[in-house]
Amino acid sequence: MSDVSGRQRQFEALVRSLSGDLFRYGYWLCGDEALAHDLVQETFLRAWRALDHLRDTGAAKAWLITILRREHARLYERKMPQFADVDEVDVVDERDAHMPEFAGEENVIRNAIRQLDPKYREPLLLQVLGGFSCEEIARELAITPAAVMTQVFRARQKLKAMLGGEEVREAKIHELR
Amino acid sequence: MNCVEFRRQLLLDPQVDDAQFRQHASDCMRCAEAQQRALGFESALRSALAVPVPAQLAEAILLRQTTEQQRGRQRLRRGGALLALAAGVVLAFGVGLRLQAQPLPELVVAHLQREAFVLTQTQPIAEEQVRKAFANLGVRVGELPADISFVACCPVGRYSSVHLLMPQSNGPVTVLYLTDDQHEARSDFIRDGWLGRSVPFAHGTLVLLAHDAGQFDQIEAQWRTALQSAT
Repeated sequence: MSDVSGRQRQFEALVRSLSGDLFRYGYWLCGDEALAHDLVQETFLRAWRALDHLRDTGAAKAWLITILRREHARLYERKMPQFADVDEVDVVDERDAHMPEFAGEENVIRNAIRQLDPKYREPLLLQVLGGFSCEEIARELAITPAAVMTQVFRARQKLKAMLGGEEVREAKIHELR
Repeated sequence: MNCVEFRRQLLLDPQVDDAQFRQHASDCMRCAEAQQRALGFESALRSALAVPVPAQLAEAILLRQTTEQQRGRQRLRRGGALLALAAGVVLAFGVGLRLQAQPLPELVVAHLQREAFVLTQTQPIAEEQVRKAFANLGVRVGELPADISFVACCPVGRYSSVHLLMPQSNGPVTVLYLTDDQHEARSDFIRDGWLGRSVPFAHGTLVLLAHDAGQFDQIEAQWRTALQSAT
């Protein structure tokens, strides 16, 4: 197998195994399906050009997520963000969550996730979607592991508060101090 | 580990696999119940985050990568010759180069490559969508060809266009109808590995692009029928 075809096969394997995860991550970063599609394409094109820098294939997902986050930051500079801060969310969002077309449990949770402040949403995405540890998330976001722990804790706490249910009380009782 | 520490851990990462955590769950029924609820929430959260991935996403990425690779090679090959040509022109005329308007084949192939994901669309779309796209550009169409899998109004250089895709047995054919562009004569061309055909109409130009031109005559005839009433 030549270097060229080996490189191509490695790239194809990365695309087929990780494009779905990256799309989902991109979607929750930018809040728009078409933009997420573009983000993932740009991410993989950049990854293709820099594939020789990927020494450890086990670290490919983290590497691709780093590229995607940079692409998103560039996009963010050019376009308006799609998600509103939680403080700016109008009461209409609460009402929407109970309209028939949003009645499914997944859509109710998705609405709640959209309302999370990005500083809480992103570590949670990296943990739940990416499967990364606190230390890995800390490296990716350039914050301390303690800050990651606080943010994923608060993210779940806020989601449960928005969604109601028995765990809200527990979340309040065991709040991090 | 006590109950408070256990419950905090549930909010940090309920999936944690730690001996002390497991031990507490087996010793404390209420915490074990809380863990079950937390894992249920985690499962719902994971499902909610797993938004549907567009069909053919991987194929669209690979197609764009391959296309970019081909363009890179062609640029490299042409680079030396273009440099020499440019230098020759400057020397011969003693004036700077003036940028000319991009020729049609270059424009349409560049557009196709920018929107390479379109080539992966295979599901037929409603005829109404196609009529609406043409109507948006002030073009009336008659009987439309069947099996159109994509339509959008796109700017192509200085032209407005309707961009369509028609899947065929020997590969998809991209169809672009550029309004307010009247090329003088029907012509076939090859650009960046794509075979193309431009067909002038009274109020625009129809362009066909594919890797296999076998269906061009048939598709051209279908669009002649559809566009003969174009106004």
